Amino acid sequence: MTIRKLLIFVPLALTLILLQSYLWVPTYEEQTRGNPNRLKEFITASIGDAAILNPILSADSASSTIESMVFEGLIDRDENLRFRGRLATSWEISEQAFFYINEEASIPGLGKATPGQVVAYLKKARDGKLTVDSETLASLQNIKAISIIGPREFEVTERQKKAGTLKAQEIKLHVFAPARIKLTLKHVDQDLFKYLARVLGENYFASFNPERYVREESGKETDLRTYARKILPPVEHNPVIVFHLRPNVIFHDGQPFDAGDVKFTYESIIDPRNLSPRISDYEPVKRVEVIDPLTVRIVYKRLYSPALATWSIGILPRHLLNREALRKEAIRRGMDPAKFTMRQSNFNRHPIGCGPFVFREWKSDQYIVLDHFRNYWEGPPNYERYVYRIIPDLLTQEMEFYAGTVDTYNVQPHQVQRLQSDPRYQSFSGLSFGYTYIGYNMRRAPFNDRRVRLALSMAIDVDKIIKYVLHGQGERITGPFVKQTDYYNHDIKPVPYNPGAALKLLETLGWKRNAEGWLEKNGKRFQFTLITNSGNELRKAVMAIVQNEWRQIGIDVRTDLVEWSVFIKERVDKADFDALILGWSMGIEPDLYQIWHSSQTHPYQLNFVGFKNAEADHLIVKIRQEYSHNRQVEYCHRLHKIIAFEQPYTFLYVNKWTAVLDKRIVIKEVDAKGHVTYKKIKPTKTGDYTFYFNKWVKLPRVPTFSLE
Amino acid sequence: MLSFIGRSVIQKLVTLFLVSIVSFLIIHIAPGEPSQVNPLNPKFTPEIVERFRKAFHLDKPLHVQYFYFYKDLLTGKTTSWKDNQSVLKKIWERFLNSLPLFIVGTLITWTISFPIGIRAAIARGGIYDRSTTFLAYLLISIPGFFFAYILIIFVVTRFHVPVIGMETFGLREATTIHMIMDRIWHLLLPSVLGATGGVAILSRYVRSQMLEVESQDYVRTAKAKGLPPEQVHYKHALRNALLPFVTMFGLILPGLIGGSVIIESIFSWPGMGRMAYEAILARDYPVILTVNFISAVLVLAGTFLSDLLYLMVDPRIRL
Repeated sequence: MTIRKLLIFVPLALTLILLQSYLWVPTYEEQTRGNPNRLKEFITASIGDAAILNPILSADSASSTIESMVFEGLIDRDENLRFRGRLATSWEISEQAFFYINEEASIPGLGKATPGQVVAYLKKARDGKLTVDSETLASLQNIKAISIIGPREFEVTERQKKAGTLKAQEIKLHVFAPARIKLTLKHVDQDLFKYLARVLGENYFASFNPERYVREESGKETDLRTYARKILPPVEHNPVIVFHLRPNVIFHDGQPFDAGDVKFTYESIIDPRNLSPRISDYEPVKRVEVIDPLTVRIVYKRLYSPALATWSIGILPRHLLNREALRKEAIRRGMDPAKFTMRQSNFNRHPIGCGPFVFREWKSDQYIVLDHFRNYWEGPPNYERYVYRIIPDLLTQEMEFYAGTVDTYNVQPHQVQRLQSDPRYQSFSGLSFGYTYIGYNMRRAPFNDRRVRLALSMAIDVDKIIKYVLHGQGERITGPFVKQTDYYNHDIKPVPYNPGAALKLLETLGWKRNAEGWLEKNGKRFQFTLITNSGNELRKAVMAIVQNEWRQIGIDVRTDLVEWSVFIKERVDKADFDALILGWSMGIEPDLYQIWHSSQTHPYQLNFVGFKNAEADHLIVKIRQEYSHNRQVEYCHRLHKIIAFEQPYTFLYVNKWTAVLDKRIVIKEVDAKGHVTYKKIKPTKTGDYTFYFNKWVKLPRVPTFSLE
Repeated sequence: MLSFIGRSVIQKLVTLFLVSIVSFLIIHIAPGEPSQVNPLNPKFTPEIVERFRKAFHLDKPLHVQYFYFYKDLLTGKTTSWKDNQSVLKKIWERFLNSLPLFIVGTLITWTISFPIGIRAAIARGGIYDRSTTFLAYLLISIPGFFFAYILIIFVVTRFHVPVIGMETFGLREATTIHMIMDRIWHLLLPSVLGATGGVAILSRYVRSQMLEVESQDYVRTAKAKGLPPEQVHYKHALRNALLPFVTMFGLILPGLIGGSVIIESIFSWPGMGRMAYEAILARDYPVILTVNFISAVLVLAGTFLSDLLYLMVDPRIRL
């Protein structure tokens, strides 16, 4: 019967066709060892695909990994996390400071003074001809030049929102600015005006009344005072960074790189049409000036020390993305040139920069391929090809690593012990830039008492959490800075685990255990809810352990797992929680303003625990205004101490990562005589093992190293 | 017939309109923001968030957003928020990736289930029938991801050949036939996995249909008049048992755009399911809604198609 035969034959044929394909597939053996080209490529795997390959537009980690290969910034950080020049060979940071002549104030020993007199007086003080204290003298001697900017008259149009209406109203202000003194400083000095006030009189700056010099033209009702303060600030700091750029650097398409590209990159970021997520980093910039093709000068509106680090952003090629180029692309693709922005450009999928690797190919959710750049200014990387494979499943990643089609694998905590001792691989580990904590809502009793928070911290055995939940792959942390930076204060010891002492501390505060064993004060049970987001197994485990430990000392803790977006929107943003478990991932810069400053405690702001401390506020502002690393470190250590003392969070742990790498990958160095030496890959002080990636090379067999 | 088609099309258009409204509302009412707006990133000032919301029209009332979205969709101008790519282009690429998986999976399901089910029905109660029943339940109950891992580990450690991705990674200088065979090999495991559930269920279904038909009077008559058993089973019984499957054929259509998130993730297959899943996580509304809309269209077209097919194969039905 034909039907019967058909029913048997068709599935058989299908099975055969499918199975015979096995015979055609290259084995892993042929792919890796039998393939000499394989030694020239480095393959890495990632869970997620890149979104957009443009350094000013992307915000995800996969994109920034690729961007760091294709693009190059003016500076980056060296082994010790200090800045080093890349596209910039060197840079200088200086300052211009301004203040308006206060015509009403009287200067001690001088009386009311004209601009010329003030300048002469300051010069006298600088030259040591007046009696001033040594700190003031030091600050004065930092002044390189003093000059006068004559009085000016100009008009300003401000937009003001009328109360009760949505429409903004334009108001015209006429300004008669008094003379201004310009001070050129050798180094940035955030305390300059504090010391100048010692010379010119304590109230010289504070009593300057800008309202006198501003007139409202049209007679509309305005808050003149606010506008006047904005237009004529009594004092102003303008830090200046001058970058000297590296000559003879070219983009991958052969076009030379110059200062215009730096300016263009900045302009693209602040262009609101581009919706750059990095715009807030560059908001403090006043202007970017091209002095000559190899010199850029960046003037800032105010003191903002994290500014230097922002210049590690990849520099975009102006000739490919300027208005004209975009307009042409829009027309070519049949789109409306008026609405076409950098976000729509094909550049974002075919990036061109001046980094060590040239973009070759991107297959969405499969791989991104880069080739080394032969004309890279530091010499081409040893690897000829860099491949970024997207493998969303960790187990498949692991299988591919064992098979040799991926060169590195990020080990999961429970596998660390096994893979670290595997003789086939070399392994590296380090601390990640982030920590997990329990935050207490300090607006609510009893968390408004530091001693209660301390007692809660003392009742948690963090070491046990690290041992069992993290499989030992974590370290304790005591404060808000990245542990491997100088900013972290290693003198601060973690809160010791001592439930007995915690209980005693609570007892002194009036919390007594009742007949059922619960802590009670004035007939009210110590009861609250600890929440975290669902979908994070580690946090969930921590939550269960902490709940148990707190219950053991008689605290009635309830727990709740909340879906991430609800958690953020309803609980965190509205500060509607008692205590929560969450984590921060951090950058190296020690700017803590958004998370710890008391001005950031409103709904939708990040200081959601409501931490308020006057000294901390002062230090946070000082840190973001301080340009000297050593002084910054000093302030950070003090701030760390305050936060650790106050315990607004129970700082739990920072995760440890481990990566394994094929043992045949080593560092190849060629000295001036062409003598080749191979070295073992060593991580930097901060644990970064890929720091010398451009010098890596894969050898056909595992080399033996002589004892160093 | 024509009036049936006309009525049916109008009904389906109304349904489609309602689906478009409901899915739009559900996605917008669900909590969460597009991933471009990260509320826990200190660098995101309220102004930037506001600007993003404005660029995505999220500041407008829902009905205006609805209008904007479907206007863009129907003129083919929707772009993904994640990477500003055209959504239709993205879906088309993924569709082409998922298509072979779908075809091979469906082929395996439909060609293998029938012989298994028919045999089980004919030899009802025998050892073969019982063991296929056992196997079917085993395959239904085994979690897909677990089975996938077992298969991958088995094949990789036993045969040392790559199984993940759409093709062997790094296969550049190879002949066309090698390339094709390589692709087929990479299709094998994921489509077998995709088909396991289908085979298990469909073969049970075939069996019960066959059993039902086999107990009909005309089959008994056929047997009684001395026809060879093969002719009874395959001609008289099978033909009539096939009727319900014809309608099922139309219902496979939505599977074209479905794709399995789990299998695609495990096998690093750049298919539809993964794209839609990632879009949901990133709250990439244009992608989610477009996929949703297309699958609604396919479901409706599928039911329509199966109605028509039924009309054609079963002369007893007249409308």
